[in-house]
Amino acid sequence: MITVKNLVKNFGKNNVLDGIDEQIEQGEKVVIIGPSGSGKSTFLRCLNLLETPTGGEIWFEGKQINTPKANIDQIRRKMGMVFQHFNLFPHLTVLGNITLAPVKLGLQSREEANKNAMRLLERISLADKAEVYPGQLSGGQKQRIAIVRALAMNPDVMLFDEPTSALDPEMVGEVLELMKELARDGMTMVVVTHEMGFAREVGTRVLFMDEGKILEQNTPAEFFANPKNQRTQDFLSKVLL
Amino acid sequence: MNLFDSLMNELQQTLITDDRWKSLLGGLGNTVLIAVFAILLGVLIGLIVAVVRVSAASSKGKPVRNKFSHGVLIFFDKLCGVYLSIIRGTPIVVQVMIMYFGILALTSLNGVQVAIISFGINSGAYVAEIFRAGILSVDKGQMEAGRSLGLSYPKSMTLIVLPQAVKNILPSLVNEFIALFKETSIVGYVSIIDLTMAANLIRSRTYQAFTPLIIIAIVYWVCVTIMTQLMRILERRLAKSDNR
Repeated sequence: MITVKNLVKNFGKNNVLDGIDEQIEQGEKVVIIGPSGSGKSTFLRCLNLLETPTGGEIWFEGKQINTPKANIDQIRRKMGMVFQHFNLFPHLTVLGNITLAPVKLGLQSREEANKNAMRLLERISLADKAEVYPGQLSGGQKQRIAIVRALAMNPDVMLFDEPTSALDPEMVGEVLELMKELARDGMTMVVVTHEMGFAREVGTRVLFMDEGKILEQNTPAEFFANPKNQRTQDFLSKVLL
Repeated sequence: MNLFDSLMNELQQTLITDDRWKSLLGGLGNTVLIAVFAILLGVLIGLIVAVVRVSAASSKGKPVRNKFSHGVLIFFDKLCGVYLSIIRGTPIVVQVMIMYFGILALTSLNGVQVAIISFGINSGAYVAEIFRAGILSVDKGQMEAGRSLGLSYPKSMTLIVLPQAVKNILPSLVNEFIALFKETSIVGYVSIIDLTMAANLIRSRTYQAFTPLIIIAIVYWVCVTIMTQLMRILERRLAKSDNR
């Protein structure tokens, strides 16, 4: 579904991604972990071209997307993204947030979009918040609505950029629960996270990144039980107390 | 004659004789007319210039998909740079006079219309900077969220970033309007009868400089104070809606 070939990203002289090759298949739940500054968020943001790669190729559903010919707006409709800081639109209601893109892109009529949004909100038990502005919501509610907003576009893959890192600890559970539900429904997911429990439970594959490279990858069971790379071992010994 | 009587006499001559208060009122009308329409024109120009400049700046270092539209954008960005440099680098009085005696003498526009256009073009340069700061003050994540949903850059800008930017800069825009309102007092240079010019004309009839000037100073002050109060109310309501 997503193929990455020799992906390189430099910020000035700073070499953030150093030649990454990766293949993500439909239905996979790929969890990317690693120390901060390892390039994992940049890697994720390159997948939907929020960062422009310096070199290499990114293919999505059989087409190379980092060429001038590719229509990136069209491609992004199929790649949902969830941000660390939610990035809900503060000037729109919850309903407005969810329906903005489907309606303004002419994919759904206002009525269809509203109906669809209410169905999604009911699924996360936040239907009563439809007319509320984001400022009145808790962090966990905001992030769940941000997830639902991305889902309203019926994406083929969901990218999560540290979705629980900005949350109060007691809010983390509800967001992870929703993500697990998505995983059970068969959504293809790429998740950058520090939640090792989530990686172990939901991931079909864990990638460990450091200094712009994927140093090791494996099934979660193997990865956590039997890390092979020295730096993976060091990292895991620090985060798994 | 005591002080009080002489004051009453001056007021009488400045305001009542020949219905001079009417010419002051007419002058105020022109001042308001020029300021209101000039700020509308200025906001329109400023918005366009700001969006062009921010778009051009954000397209730097990104791959170019459509060479033609990118070229057009860069061209207009350069044009906006020249516009800002000229307008902010020359006095408004000179700009108004050039417009009045030079460029617009060729047309059939009247003085007030010329003033509206000159002040609108002038104000646009300052409003552009206000808008630019407003757009840049909106969190980068807002644009990213819009783009990640498949909305184009222009759509994300107009539907997501600009509404938030406008809210942030409303108080600055009112400030700009207040400044503009006072700056219009120079239109007498091109013989438009605004509030200041009306007072000047009365002075030349009555040979009393002090009273008409004090009167229009008070009128300006009252108008500006009312606008400042309105801005305070606006700011308070905006602050409230921040945590809506």
